[in-house]
Amino acid sequence: MQQPQADELTLYGERFNSRFLLGTALYNSPELMRASIETSRCEIVTLGLRRQNPGNRDGAAIWQYIQDSGCRLLPNTAGCKSVKEVVTLAEMSREMFDTPWIKLEVIGDDYNLQPDPFALVEAAEILIKNGFKVLPYCTDDLILCQRLLDVGCEVLMPWGSPIGTGQGLLNRYNLRTLRERIKHVPLIIDAGLGAPSQAAEAMEMGFDGILLNSAVAKAQNPPLMASAFADAIVAGRNAYLAGLMQKRQTASPSTPTVGQPFWHQ
Amino acid sequence: MHTDSQHYTVGIAGAGLLGRLLAWQLLRTGHKVTLYEAGTLSSPACAAWTAAGMIAPMSEAVVSDRNVYEMGLYALNVWPQWLQALGQPDLYQARGSLVIAHPQDNAELHQFAQDLRYVVPDTEHYRPVNGQEIHELEPDLGVAFQQGLLLENEAHLDNRALLDHLAAEIHRLGGQCIEQCPVRVSPGTVRSAHGDEQFDWVLDCRGLGARDRHPELRGVRGETLVVHTDEVRLQRPVRLMHPRYQLYVVPKPQQHFVIGATQIESEDRSAMSLQSALELGSALYTIAPAFAEARILEQGVNLRPAFMDNQPHITRTEGLISANGLFRHGYLLAPAVVTQVLAEMALGAPSPFAHLFTSTSGGISR
Repeated sequence: MQQPQADELTLYGERFNSRFLLGTALYNSPELMRASIETSRCEIVTLGLRRQNPGNRDGAAIWQYIQDSGCRLLPNTAGCKSVKEVVTLAEMSREMFDTPWIKLEVIGDDYNLQPDPFALVEAAEILIKNGFKVLPYCTDDLILCQRLLDVGCEVLMPWGSPIGTGQGLLNRYNLRTLRERIKHVPLIIDAGLGAPSQAAEAMEMGFDGILLNSAVAKAQNPPLMASAFADAIVAGRNAYLAGLMQKRQTASPSTPTVGQPFWHQ
Repeated sequence: MHTDSQHYTVGIAGAGLLGRLLAWQLLRTGHKVTLYEAGTLSSPACAAWTAAGMIAPMSEAVVSDRNVYEMGLYALNVWPQWLQALGQPDLYQARGSLVIAHPQDNAELHQFAQDLRYVVPDTEHYRPVNGQEIHELEPDLGVAFQQGLLLENEAHLDNRALLDHLAAEIHRLGGQCIEQCPVRVSPGTVRSAHGDEQFDWVLDCRGLGARDRHPELRGVRGETLVVHTDEVRLQRPVRLMHPRYQLYVVPKPQQHFVIGATQIESEDRSAMSLQSALELGSALYTIAPAFAEARILEQGVNLRPAFMDNQPHITRTEGLISANGLFRHGYLLAPAVVTQVLAEMALGAPSPFAHLFTSTSGGISR
């Protein structure tokens, strides 16, 4: 039997075994967060700095604790609403964590936290020119995604649905289109997933990875939910690699029926 | 040094809530207590002064765990007895608390109820309430609230008056209070600028000030507003569930209200941010529009001392007991922690919480 081949995720030239990226906010305690990172088997964690007065290193205790997990840190710009805010925060986080990687978020709407596509492209262009490796959190709009590629993004992170809603993949048509049209750039579904089955579905569709936070952090047992998502992501990925069968209208028995006249089949 | 086997000399470092409660309990039973405070007793820098003073085992269980709930139930029994003993029973109000959400955010309310059932499946002390019941319970709340939960056995107390009465009682019982005196502690010894003092027991209740002995302690920033208005009356704490922030308003004497609290993983002690002021202010306004004309008396900023598991830790070596990390649950957990510390000194009744403090997380280490 053929085993699944070595199947790594490559982001900005770095290779990862795990296709699960986990957020570090909203847990009931840092210890639960660390336990969840472990059971998720993830290799990249995101962290937000916006309200922690990063210039004074006021969040240093918790940052160190996250860093001790051994995962690659992906600082984010959550909570920023303008290009200027984003650029300032990205520069600070690059200095602080000694990484050019940045998860780019520019919020355009307060209620559903929808990304501002115009500011996103502008900020991505500036950051890439300044040497950042930008992982933009974007909507599932094809043209927006193409513009982000045009300015130099080497990975895209379209939403499944708005942050924290747990609604899953709201617009399958758009997501399928993205996957079909953008074949050679990693696409990571970021935000909106509430259940492992939704993550498995995204992976079956051929997406390269999953980034989430609330669904794990707000579960009643976060470490257990983290491992459930990890399993679902592996299952969905393996299913994609194995090749899903097509859906059909007529039933097709897995055991051939012998002796049945063919005109009845 | 100690006089006989039953009466100890005790040096207590830190006159926050734990330090005061322990001093008071020990003085009541005839021990000789010296209480050291880095600041002053009248306007302390401790988190207990900034806090809202809720005794809310169910609400807090949702954001922590079963241990906090168990210790919180104990607090509901102990606080009325302690306040009676202090001659201040009126500082304690047991009228439950009300959890509400705007209609568009009802999912948050359902999530809260689901989380509550998960942590404490055996409790019967809460019930859903509809718009009319909400109005009957709290007539001054906004009319839009159609669904809520009444947590019937929760309570709140007037925390600042309590801290003042404890200080007065400590003086009255002959406790020695040394203010503006930062100290370091070691078994049997309190060291300050005045030199070393020897005691049978040293109790380290310095909160974040104890980081020299507990480098793993961290501060979690919390911000509160204190406002005054005569236009709104509330009988009980009200919690607003919202997708982004969860805030409470707690009624205090003289028509004061404490609104809190942000929870930011930061050790920044600088003044409240505009964003936090907007969040707290707008949540308050949506709870009851009449708060619009309230006067802002105070912006509180403080750091909650916490360990990485957000659970209280008690550590004991001969001659030194440290109690710390009460995080956002000071008034809720203090009775259990005080009882455990006294049990560690082989005083008072056996603690019902020895099992909680002997787990690997949140444990006593010896």
